[in-house]
Amino acid sequence: MHKNLLYLKAELDKHPELKYEIIQQNWQTDFLRFYQSQTNYNISKDNCSLSCALYKGKKLYSFELDGPNPDKIDAAFSEALSLIDSLPEDPDFRDLENELSLAPPRKLANNIDELDLSRKTKILSDFAQKAAEYDFELYGTFICNYSQYRLVNSNGMDKSSTNSPIYLEIKAVHNKNQVTVLETFGGEDFGYFDQDAFREHLVAKLVHAQNPVVDVEPGDYEVILAPRCLAEFCQYLSSGMSAWSLDQHSSYFEDKLNQKIFPSCVSITDDPGDPEMIGKDYGSNGHIYKKLDLIDKGVFKAFMCDSYFHHKLGLPKNGNTGDCIKIAPGEHKLEDMISSVTKGLYISSLHYMNFINPRETSLTGLTRDGTFLIVDGKIKAVVNNLRFTERIARILENVVALENKAYTIPFSDNYDSFSISTTKAPHAKISGFNISSSTKTI
Amino acid sequence: MENKIKSIVAKLQSPDLSFADVRITFTDFENIAFINGNLRNYSSSKGSPALGIRVLMDGCYGFAGSKDLSDASIERLILRAKNNAIQGSKFLKERVTFPAITPSIAEYQHQPEINPFEMPKEEKLNYLHDLALAIKPHGKIVHSYVMAEFERQEKYYANTEGSYSHTCVYNTLPLMSVVAADSGQTQSRSWPGHMSAGRAGFELFYKQKFMENTERILKEAQDLLSAPVITEEKADIIIGGGHLALQLHESVGHATEADRIFGQEISYAGKTFVKPSMLGIFKYGSDILNIYSDSTDPRGLGYHPIDDEGVPGRRVDIIKDGILRDQQTSRHIAHKLGLEPSSNMKASFADDFPLVRMTNLCIAPGKGSLADLIKNTEHGYYLDFTKTWSIDDNRNNFQFTTEIGYKIQRGEITGIVKEPTYFGITPQFWNACDAICGEEEWAYHSTFHCGKGEPGQIMRLSHGVAPARFKNINVSVKM
Repeated sequence: MHKNLLYLKAELDKHPELKYEIIQQNWQTDFLRFYQSQTNYNISKDNCSLSCALYKGKKLYSFELDGPNPDKIDAAFSEALSLIDSLPEDPDFRDLENELSLAPPRKLANNIDELDLSRKTKILSDFAQKAAEYDFELYGTFICNYSQYRLVNSNGMDKSSTNSPIYLEIKAVHNKNQVTVLETFGGEDFGYFDQDAFREHLVAKLVHAQNPVVDVEPGDYEVILAPRCLAEFCQYLSSGMSAWSLDQHSSYFEDKLNQKIFPSCVSITDDPGDPEMIGKDYGSNGHIYKKLDLIDKGVFKAFMCDSYFHHKLGLPKNGNTGDCIKIAPGEHKLEDMISSVTKGLYISSLHYMNFINPRETSLTGLTRDGTFLIVDGKIKAVVNNLRFTERIARILENVVALENKAYTIPFSDNYDSFSISTTKAPHAKISGFNISSSTKTI
Repeated sequence: MENKIKSIVAKLQSPDLSFADVRITFTDFENIAFINGNLRNYSSSKGSPALGIRVLMDGCYGFAGSKDLSDASIERLILRAKNNAIQGSKFLKERVTFPAITPSIAEYQHQPEINPFEMPKEEKLNYLHDLALAIKPHGKIVHSYVMAEFERQEKYYANTEGSYSHTCVYNTLPLMSVVAADSGQTQSRSWPGHMSAGRAGFELFYKQKFMENTERILKEAQDLLSAPVITEEKADIIIGGGHLALQLHESVGHATEADRIFGQEISYAGKTFVKPSMLGIFKYGSDILNIYSDSTDPRGLGYHPIDDEGVPGRRVDIIKDGILRDQQTSRHIAHKLGLEPSSNMKASFADDFPLVRMTNLCIAPGKGSLADLIKNTEHGYYLDFTKTWSIDDNRNNFQFTTEIGYKIQRGEITGIVKEPTYFGITPQFWNACDAICGEEEWAYHSTFHCGKGEPGQIMRLSHGVAPARFKNINVSVKM
């Protein structure tokens, strides 16, 4: 499978004046999408691509080939050679990545083979049957990917990695009032999937969803954020922890290194080593991916920085990309957190968030897939989906309690090849969460 | 390639398949980006192939796609697509059915005025470099960005009903932006705004007057640092074309994609507040509001002679005189709703599964110029250049922030406001529309980046709009 990469490398090595980075990626997906407790469609897709970034001095040109072969490689390389001298320089470029250490090998099954369609539909049928007892139907996706990646560069780097993420997302929607709840599984080891526990969690949510539907007025609320919500806020926040955002003056963390900015209970790491999560061997430009403390007991500890910005900004290089964010659990039981709320909200999931001003971490977004009213420590009603307009920094400043357990939450990146990552987070109790309007709908 | 696609369709002609279609695309793509005046990216991909085979068997769709167009790959994909359909049919309650349509044959070749892939590379680079240098950081300007994306896509489509089409189009996405900073605050300005793409080549940079607007965005970004915010609770707002295109996109376009009615997009993009029972009676907007989907207009990125399931391009009234009249549909969903299919099924690349997609979704022009509309506004704000957008699962509650707002007092622009934010509920908002500018202000605004579906697809599409005024809109968001 690497003959095209090796062919291109051999051609490039004939030009000692060039620096280069070549990445070959083979990617497959088996994608089951369902609605109304039945198949919507089954998709199988695969792709083999070869990309090459070429430097001559401080001049950069890159090309990508889908379905590469020697003829295509020759044509692209020849065009690159004819063009590169005429390009303007990037004065900030110094060198390609030169960190050469290898990640320890991981045993990984191809989950596309392990979890075939018939096994997937059997699992879904089981959950559909249970949901039907409560007059709910299932909507969602059950996906397995398999990708192999190899990166070589002119500094002697030669690194390979394999991933096979699984993503199961089930939304149960009530047939009459459209009240929706969500249950997910994500990871690379299906051994962690406990079908009985998954069904049990889903049913518990279906029971809460039987409550009457109400609306609430805009204002500040005490809220319990489900792990998915806390994880998503921290993912958005982590974009400001990148050297790239610091360079473009959009980072909230500018001038905050080693400052205490959040309560001591807030600790965030980027950790690729958790077996319950989707692993990552290498980060930016092939740098080995290691655990990095981002927020430690409320103190901002590090920017995620690649080789380019390391040279440009003088920050320590780590290659982290924020794909394995973990928010440390706290000390509280979830039941105690909920029962301590006099009047507030339980928020299950977020939708369509967008920064208003990333430097201030201000953003707007909505709740979905189950927003509940808590009165006197008990869930009493389903609430219409709500809009919030908040600052993530303020949300974390207002953390009152974190659950003593963290959950693996899968997320998908839907804007390119369907990549899947996981984040780990506990429930969080937040004071003064700003609900800015109601959608008046479920 | 015509022979190849027809031979694949021939292999799919069998009694156990009720329908099948095949797409093949070859895509050239080029991205050039300057940051702070320096070239940070020049990347290209030429002739990227893709093949997709969709079959309808036992009432269920199965699909397989690949970048590998070899004979062995084709055999593998056919088997995989059939197996996916057969397995899917074992978890099925309602079979996919739709009536046959008369086959169509189509050929379309678009020619840009300046072919971005064939023009002298020095000319292209020099222009972009000059633009990048013109907005390079200095003083309070701390960051600048100039970006160009060029795309050429050749596409073959054929199905088992006998439809066949071969098209080739060029699309360009140009953008420039600057960030100003002072005392820990940043403000940004871009040109020509959020929906800057077009069915065009390099000429789009000249038509959109990039060079002529560098000084404007530099000044406005810096002025915004000391500009006030809107203080009123409610105000009349005039929305400029670029941003109105996004308002239309989010609160009408996605809301009237009929696959959402049946929950086919719940797991990612969401649902819609629109119900089948609303067709023909629901007052979506004011009487002057006419919105149509038009895949027959070659000026927009949504043009096609036939869509990705063989339906000829159509112009369909979605909202007529303020009343919801129709939906954007697939053949299957149109059949369920008792409608004619609207020719809105599109796949971004051949190895993507076709989905209900906006094509050219437009607001019909009204009367008068933007200058006259401002002159006729006693007190309000003219908003344009999208900064933030967000809309709920049902496409009902939205909130938008633009980069800049121009304050209007007694028919004249008297100053600017920063980060103007407005929110509303979709039908109430469109019913508050009391003026739409005329043909002379009407233009297409287009995007490369409409995300939908799983696995995710980003679609190129267009919105034809003229600036419009909305009365008494919520402009106060407490944070």
